[in-house]
Amino acid sequence: MMEDLDEPEIDYWLSKLFFDLQTDRALAIVYGKERDAVLARYPLSDSVLTALRNDKVAYLAGLTNGFLLRYYFLIAGMPDQTFIDGLQTRKCEPAEVTRGSH
Amino acid sequence: MAHISGIFAASHAPPLIRDWNKIETGRKAGLSQAFDELGRRIRLSEPDVLVVLGADHWANFFLNNMPAICIGVGAEHDGPLEQWLSDYPHKLMRGSAALGRHMARATFQSRFEPSVSHRMRLDHAFCVPLWKARLDPLPPIVPIVINAVQEPMPTVSRCLAFGEAIAGAIESFPAPLRVVILASGGLSHSVGEPQMGHIDEDFDRKCIDLLGRPDAGGLITFLTDERMSRAGNGSHELRFWAAAHGAARTHGFELIHYEAVPETYTGCGFAQWHGSEASVL
Repeated sequence: MMEDLDEPEIDYWLSKLFFDLQTDRALAIVYGKERDAVLARYPLSDSVLTALRNDKVAYLAGLTNGFLLRYYFLIAGMPDQTFIDGLQTRKCEPAEVTRGSH
Repeated sequence: MAHISGIFAASHAPPLIRDWNKIETGRKAGLSQAFDELGRRIRLSEPDVLVVLGADHWANFFLNNMPAICIGVGAEHDGPLEQWLSDYPHKLMRGSAALGRHMARATFQSRFEPSVSHRMRLDHAFCVPLWKARLDPLPPIVPIVINAVQEPMPTVSRCLAFGEAIAGAIESFPAPLRVVILASGGLSHSVGEPQMGHIDEDFDRKCIDLLGRPDAGGLITFLTDERMSRAGNGSHELRFWAAAHGAARTHGFELIHYEAVPETYTGCGFAQWHGSEASVL
């Protein structure tokens, strides 16, 4: 069977960031105070860094697992409806998302 | 020999704890009754050990090492890491190391090769139903994770067969334990996807119908990866219900409660499989 070549690729390091923030409370606290210092520890692309700094839910949703994304924005304090609204813009956005480079 | 004194399933949606007070009064009453009834039936089953089938929501495993199935064989497991579960009363949970190890060995004899963990962190998938059903004191637990969060995942057919294998493993354990199996998760829900908030009630009703029947063929045909994905990524947790169906040798189940609960983004279901009722019922 041929692989689905259009299957979205997961961004490993973005996902690792989310995983680490979920499993390491101390890191999550540091992230809340010094986000850029934490982000510097991960080899993230410029487009991902921009999306993280601007809470681009739809963009990030295309690059990681839905559960990891949910947890990240939950601990960031984003209201559920804002999160859901952000996800729904993904349906309308053009395919400007550059898949993770890492 | 050990025997299975009850096989159950229950939803574990985080808002059942986190946003409990936001749930509409009537729905909240229905959910409370369902959890009370679940707890009553599990207590009547007098479990010496609870085998809980659930998802690992990225608490233990990551993309660099993602087992299809993992059996907790430790004498102790850690409580949840979710901050909204900080009031969960069990920071540590006793494990049944002997039964866990036996189940791991026995499933290896049944054409399964699960990974094992000597200490797991049990997230909301395990803790929400145990807490809401007010199972306190908690019997020792054998947690079993089936990957339901990141593709590729075991097929429903294999989950059914795995359920049958764990039932056989329990029944071959040479100690007179009463063991309850609890499948935690489902029904339809979507997390972090554009359709988040959509509950596919038709999908849920069809699953309930198929799980109520004394066979597995319809369930295997219906629960394709594609169909579960369409019902939302959380719907892959129907794998645990399929495993419970296998453990019950596909005798069918009694639905305790089902309701689509928009405040939880989830079709919430509760059930007990036939042939697993406590004799005192």
